[in-house]
Amino acid sequence: METWNPVTGTENPGPRRAEGTTSPSEPVTSGEAPAVAPVRGTGLRLAYDQRVVVDGLDVEIPAGSFTVIVGPNGCGKSTLLRALGRTLTPRAGHVDLYGEPLASLGNKQIARMLALLPQTPVAPEAITVRDLVGRGRYAYQTLLRQWSASDGVAVRAAMEATGTTDLADRKVSELSGGQRQRVWIAMVLAQDTDLLLLDEPTTFLDITHQVDVLDLCAQMHREGRTLVAVLHDLNLAARYATHMIAMRDGEVVATGTPHEVVTAEGVEEIFGLRCRIITDPESETPLVVPLVTR
Amino acid sequence: MNRPTTVAEAVAEQAESAGRRGARRLLPVVDEGHLSVVGVVVPWNRRATLVVTAALVLVLTALVLSLTLGRLGVALADLPAVLRGEGSKTEHFVVFTNRLPRALVGVCAGAALGISGAIFQSVTRNPLGSPDIIGLNAGAAAGAAAVTLVWPGILPAPVGALLGGAVAVTLVLLGAGRGLQAPLRMVVIGIGVGAMSLAFVQFAITRTRREQAQEMAAWLNGSLNARSWEHVTIIAVALVVLGAAALALSRGLQQVEMGDDAAVALGVPARRVRLLAVSVGVGLAAAAVVVCGPVAFVALVAPQVARRVTGSAGPGMVAAGAAGALLLVGADLVAVHQPWFGSLPVGVLTAGIGGLYLAVLLTREWRRGTL
Repeated sequence: METWNPVTGTENPGPRRAEGTTSPSEPVTSGEAPAVAPVRGTGLRLAYDQRVVVDGLDVEIPAGSFTVIVGPNGCGKSTLLRALGRTLTPRAGHVDLYGEPLASLGNKQIARMLALLPQTPVAPEAITVRDLVGRGRYAYQTLLRQWSASDGVAVRAAMEATGTTDLADRKVSELSGGQRQRVWIAMVLAQDTDLLLLDEPTTFLDITHQVDVLDLCAQMHREGRTLVAVLHDLNLAARYATHMIAMRDGEVVATGTPHEVVTAEGVEEIFGLRCRIITDPESETPLVVPLVTR
Repeated sequence: MNRPTTVAEAVAEQAESAGRRGARRLLPVVDEGHLSVVGVVVPWNRRATLVVTAALVLVLTALVLSLTLGRLGVALADLPAVLRGEGSKTEHFVVFTNRLPRALVGVCAGAALGISGAIFQSVTRNPLGSPDIIGLNAGAAAGAAAVTLVWPGILPAPVGALLGGAVAVTLVLLGAGRGLQAPLRMVVIGIGVGAMSLAFVQFAITRTRREQAQEMAAWLNGSLNARSWEHVTIIAVALVVLGAAALALSRGLQQVEMGDDAAVALGVPARRVRLLAVSVGVGLAAAAVVVCGPVAFVALVAPQVARRVTGSAGPGMVAAGAAGALLLVGADLVAVHQPWFGSLPVGVLTAGIGGLYLAVLLTREWRRGTL
């Protein structure tokens, strides 16, 4: 069985804590994975200005999963991720984090439980890799205590885990796309949360770096984090996900394992693409092969 | 114990060993780019500290020069005595009534403009962002023109300036909407409001008698002429209060530079931080306009210079303030004591320097292909 939290394990199945930070009252059981979902959205109505993208949506992210949200362009998958990561406030409904409504938790408190890497974060001019990764520690700092030894340790460990230690003193603007994405992931990793949301982390990367970033994600998942990612590439999604959520027109049309979601009928329903599903000879996950239509 | 493999394990192990060591040190320590003194830990950048120290020394030098230069200047050797209240009546007058208030207003207003510019450049994520761009100065000029030329005497000029600036900024903020999420919209609307304000000023000037119009034109350039201790008090209080607020906000502001989503996810209430920061920036710039008129370009140039010289990321409030103070008081020193044109309003000089700097900046961006 997959241990939900191998790090703090038997003592405290709740979110890992660097030091004595306040924790919401999630149930403390011993050993067993708790039933409460890391994130759950209920009756979500999501909109930009006047345009409603998602309405009346319920969604739950299983604890310890590597959940990938897929769907055609404009189906609301990034919108949903933003709502789960509280960067978009729902017009109706609510998001619960470990069973607590987001609205009842403080800004920094949430940031110590949930990290989100947006689609297009902006690297400040002239910032070094080390400083950018350090910015992931904001939620652990106060005005008078803007750095602590645990911040330094977390930043070093995050750079180590993402293979960016050698880049520490380089300017982020000088890095290649693949390196830069690793640095951003290091920043959210430094946030030291159990829950990691990634909005299209592989966009603009070539195939090598897409696999590289997803391998890194898989590694973070193996270390015990719950991951939620929005991905464009259905085949890569099926390869890495333990749980998939397929969306179309603002609604969830299928959830389950890659084998359950990525079927010929499913793909046609979701994307309107006629295809054959074969088994990926490398990973034994479903592989989408579009039919020849000419 | 094995080498920690995850962030959390590493942090937990560190916390444990720190607990064993018994943490808090009393002597100042610089470690990992941070200075810690009695439990307070702030970022520490050696280059920035050196630059700011150098700038402050130069500001102090400019202050002394402003008291000693020129025909009426007090000799350097006599200065300490005069400052202690000794010395002749003339010397006393020159220092305390004439020159010291002027220089102090210059230092404080320059610092206020520098910090204000740093805030606006951070919020608009644009090196050209400044209170000038969003129409604050033009609005202030229109307000001053309204109360001195169109309806003379209904309010003192500085109050008119404050109201005019407030109206202009309010229009811009309302027009931009969406919690100031779209900095470019703010700039575009600011240009429009600024143009309308300047049209009003031109209208007012063409309608009035020549002497009054000339007086107005001098104020419009921005000038430190005939500043009193009252002005010093206004700008010093604004600088201390709003400057402290700017410092407190700068940590959140630098996170917001990464985009609202990233900032919110990191635990920063992006909209609130930005709204507060813009209010503080407007307040600082407005206080400066009230005491010395719409001095051009200090707010634009100072934070840029500060960022480049310190080579640091983030708004850098202290460095921007120091650069602004040095720029304004230095420019005033040159404007008053240059031998060619008699005494000039300082704004003429800062506009000249600023224009030149802007041209260089734009050319460089253009060459790099980022414009």
